[in-house]
Amino acid sequence: MSKLKDEVDLLRSIPMLASLPVNKLKLLAFASDHVSYGENEILFKQGDEADAAYIVISGCADVLVESGGGKTSKVAELGPNSFVGDMAILCDIPRTATVRANVALDTLRIRKEHMMDLMKESPVLAMAVLKELVQRLAKTTHDLSDAREEIARLQA
Amino acid sequence: MYLCVTFCTCGANHISYLRLGRVVSLISAQRSGLLTGCSLAKEDPIAAANRPLDKNLLRYVWRHTRSEQIWILFVIIASMPTYFLVLDLPVRIINQPIQGVGFETATATQRFLDFTLSLPEFLGGGSWVLSEGLELSRWPYLIALSSLFLGLVCVNGLFKFYINTYKGRLGERMLRRMRYQLVDRVLRFPINHFKRVKGSEVASMVKDEVEPFGEFIGDAFVQPVYLGGQALVAFAFILNQSFWLGMIAVAIIAVQITLIPYLRRRVLELGRMRQLTARLLSGRIGEIVDGITAVHVNDTSNYERAELSSRLGKIFFIRYELYQRKFFIKFLNNFLAQLTPFLFYVVGGYFAIRGTLNVGQLIGVINAYKDLPSPINGLIMWDQKRVDINIKYAQIVEQFNVKGMTPAEMQEPSSEKVAPLEGNILVSNLNVTDDTGTTLVEDADFTVPINGITAAIGPLGSGAGAMANTLAGLYTPTSGRVMLNNDAIFELPQAVRGRRFAYAGSESYLPQSSLLESLLYVNKHAPLRERDIADLGVELHPRSKAEAMASGNTLLDYYADWVDYDAMGISGPEEVYGKIHDVLDVVDMTDTVYQLAMRQSLDPKAHPKLCEKLVEIRGLFREQLRDSGLSEYVEVWDFDKYNPHATIAENLLFGSIVESEDFNLASLARNEHLLATLTKENLDRDLFNMGVELAETAIELFADLSPDNPFFEQLNFMTPEQLEAYPPILGRARELGFDGIKQEDKLKLIQLPLGYIEPRNRLRLLDDAMSARILKARQSFHQHLPETLKQQISLYDVNMYTPVNSVRDNILFGRIAHGFSNSGDRVQEVIRKLLLDAGLEDDLFRVGLEFDIGTAGKRLSEAHRQRILMARALLKGADLLIVNRGLNALDSRAQERLVKKIVARARGENSKPFGLLWVLTAPHMASEFDQVLVFERQKLIETGKPDELQNSSDAYASLTG
Repeated sequence: MSKLKDEVDLLRSIPMLASLPVNKLKLLAFASDHVSYGENEILFKQGDEADAAYIVISGCADVLVESGGGKTSKVAELGPNSFVGDMAILCDIPRTATVRANVALDTLRIRKEHMMDLMKESPVLAMAVLKELVQRLAKTTHDLSDAREEIARLQA
Repeated sequence: MYLCVTFCTCGANHISYLRLGRVVSLISAQRSGLLTGCSLAKEDPIAAANRPLDKNLLRYVWRHTRSEQIWILFVIIASMPTYFLVLDLPVRIINQPIQGVGFETATATQRFLDFTLSLPEFLGGGSWVLSEGLELSRWPYLIALSSLFLGLVCVNGLFKFYINTYKGRLGERMLRRMRYQLVDRVLRFPINHFKRVKGSEVASMVKDEVEPFGEFIGDAFVQPVYLGGQALVAFAFILNQSFWLGMIAVAIIAVQITLIPYLRRRVLELGRMRQLTARLLSGRIGEIVDGITAVHVNDTSNYERAELSSRLGKIFFIRYELYQRKFFIKFLNNFLAQLTPFLFYVVGGYFAIRGTLNVGQLIGVINAYKDLPSPINGLIMWDQKRVDINIKYAQIVEQFNVKGMTPAEMQEPSSEKVAPLEGNILVSNLNVTDDTGTTLVEDADFTVPINGITAAIGPLGSGAGAMANTLAGLYTPTSGRVMLNNDAIFELPQAVRGRRFAYAGSESYLPQSSLLESLLYVNKHAPLRERDIADLGVELHPRSKAEAMASGNTLLDYYADWVDYDAMGISGPEEVYGKIHDVLDVVDMTDTVYQLAMRQSLDPKAHPKLCEKLVEIRGLFREQLRDSGLSEYVEVWDFDKYNPHATIAENLLFGSIVESEDFNLASLARNEHLLATLTKENLDRDLFNMGVELAETAIELFADLSPDNPFFEQLNFMTPEQLEAYPPILGRARELGFDGIKQEDKLKLIQLPLGYIEPRNRLRLLDDAMSARILKARQSFHQHLPETLKQQISLYDVNMYTPVNSVRDNILFGRIAHGFSNSGDRVQEVIRKLLLDAGLEDDLFRVGLEFDIGTAGKRLSEAHRQRILMARALLKGADLLIVNRGLNALDSRAQERLVKKIVARARGENSKPFGLLWVLTAPHMASEFDQVLVFERQKLIETGKPDELQNSSDAYASLTG
């Protein structure tokens, strides 16, 4: 059993990628890099140009967002099988957050050009990505309205 | 307003003031030592260059080679007596000493070398004895005559040799002159003309189409005179024998002369078509090459094939018809030539039978006629060639006599300094249209101070870019005036704009050269310092200058140092690297140059000290790795250890290959010694099995991808082309197995795992036991290494520099480990620091500048090419830098950063201040500038300071908002 096989399983566990045929998943795994990070090492910084997305194999990482005043707050924690940095490579925008390894972290690094190429070739993947983005948008909108309500409630 | 011009004299700069209009006459009057000689040609070279090319080739040839043509004719005439003697002597040798004519008695002698000049009968006869000669008996006479024959053969051969080389040289000189003039004209074509010409067509005209002229030029005048003379003499003989029979010959020749040009009309037309279609073909092939990506992404290769085939078909039928007609004309010529003797026999015979012509006369005429057809045919052939070549020539000339060419005096070379410009560029009522009549700029009136910091904003096509290009001299205004102080900017010599303005556009074409040459290109206006050619490793022909002059080429010394260091604000070549470092820093490219240096391979012979130091650094680097706990990031070479981060091939060879045809990485498995080692260690079967697995994986994953798919970069053990060959091999491998398969297939499969790296490919094909066996094979491989292979493997020796490897690999002396984040960057940082500490940064910077940027600069990214355009514009030390959407391939943050840095530099930070006129891609950066021109729909709608415009102008606010 090759390591590649484990990585294909890992990729399959990501909802956005689950719809890809096996040979494409295998290709993606083959072309991706296995990258390890030590404790407190930075995967990428907010505002950087995006060149890759990461799937956590083991360990965990913090997602940090720097707000206007220079304050940094932790907005999420990533565990195994989470997909991070995908938005920036899909939409060609700078990193929206900083990701830092919490403990020793193993990741699979997927390059932007490979992801884009698969999107071009596979309408199924494109649809899945679209779905994922819409879901996130819906969630953000929902969160936003919740936050507004909260503010209104606090102000009242 | 006055312009200050400084003359370079020995040491002292003396300054004089004069009106701009006089610069031209002054430049031509006061040439420096390196520039003289241009004026030595018979005709004023400027006037000659401005005259349209002669429409007729013969006139062109006569204009430039008159005296040579007359000389060669003279030599040919001088060679005639020897030629006739060589023909005549054998007859004498056979008749006299051999057959014994004149030696009827044993004691008979003959005179040798007795010269008597006799006139032919019809000139009145008579003879003069020039030399009495020697009395010789039969045997010495034979020797003497034979020796004379040999001597004459030599003289005759030497004449021929001289004439042919002279003609050849004449032709080559003319070709050189013609090519030079054609390209000289290309350099002066109006810029908008280039929208209509294809580079490859021009290249085909300059290179191929003029080629046949060379042969013709030597014969252009000699041939007709020589052949004509021969024909006239033969003709005179015929007329002398019989007037009427002579008239028959005249009549037939008259028929030839009238009929053949008539028949030839279509041939000429075809010749013209042949030339045009061939030129279009080369233009089209150029297009296919330049647009090859479009062919691949659209699957239009078959459309291109069909187009090509139809073009080749056209050419074929044109040429076929051409042949048919040409050979018909030839047939007719031959026929007419044979018709004349027929008429002589019939008509002459009739007269002879009737008794009006005596038989002796008839035989005389027929004999004389023998000599007539060949010169006549030669003349006809010559004429055919003349017409053919004239058409070709006219076709070419037509393309190079373009209206609106820059007058030659505008580009006249001058090594004088053009003084810095001050004051304003005053633009009034500027209108620019392109060649289709589309308006690019309409009625623009504005003033730009030369030293001002000015921005122009507006969407693409709004007129801002066209305005900038007009000021840079790339567009010619349809109407309106652009004045530099009191002078119309377009009437100034190119030296003024070309040296005092700098330009950086968005089009990022860079001709192939080193990075250094590419940067210095903008400051090469005239040869300024002589250089010792021997130092450059160049061997010049001793006659190179004389020949250049004989062909009317420029005498400017290409090998001199052309770089204007003074303009860059430095004193000489020693300081140039510092200056380049400075401007590359502004465009954020110094790091790139260091990285390029790290990827270069150095020749230890050219950089002996540097290579020695790099080996020292290697040692320090290994210590540093140990001390800073980074050792897991680099797996260094150790003869007794398997390096998991290197390929199996590298582990077996433990060295770098000096690639050659029969020993290279791509077909390593074919090497007998390696294969023998693998067999001995029983590794061949295992590697074969690995190869099968790798081929299976590669086919499964990559078979349905196109060869240019980015995924292929990850397939490290195979190329897309090789992949196609593997499915059938794999089929046979499955069927026959290791023992049954053909050697050819076996080797192909064993080749695959040689490129395998376990931590990278992660297929779990290589375990520790296998690694240990490969290690053992390495030792065995080296133990019995044949002498021939020793030369081709540069062994990893910690104390030796490996020339085939890059600088970086030489310092690393190992492989960067896969699977660690940023391991490459960290190692890079350590190396960089070590180099800095060792004081090698400058050396490496120089090495980086030696990087070959590739055709059209394509080995660099577009963003980097644009940075280079900007860097060299800054390097130029100009008074006004015009930027037309430069740097637009950079991401917006980098663009912002660079605009700010360059504006600060223009204001005098770390540099002498200069003016800026920047057509911005990001309009919001306009706030950094002192004055802003706002363009919309080809019109200048607002001008003012950015903060004022912010409040007063809606257009400004909406563009920058």
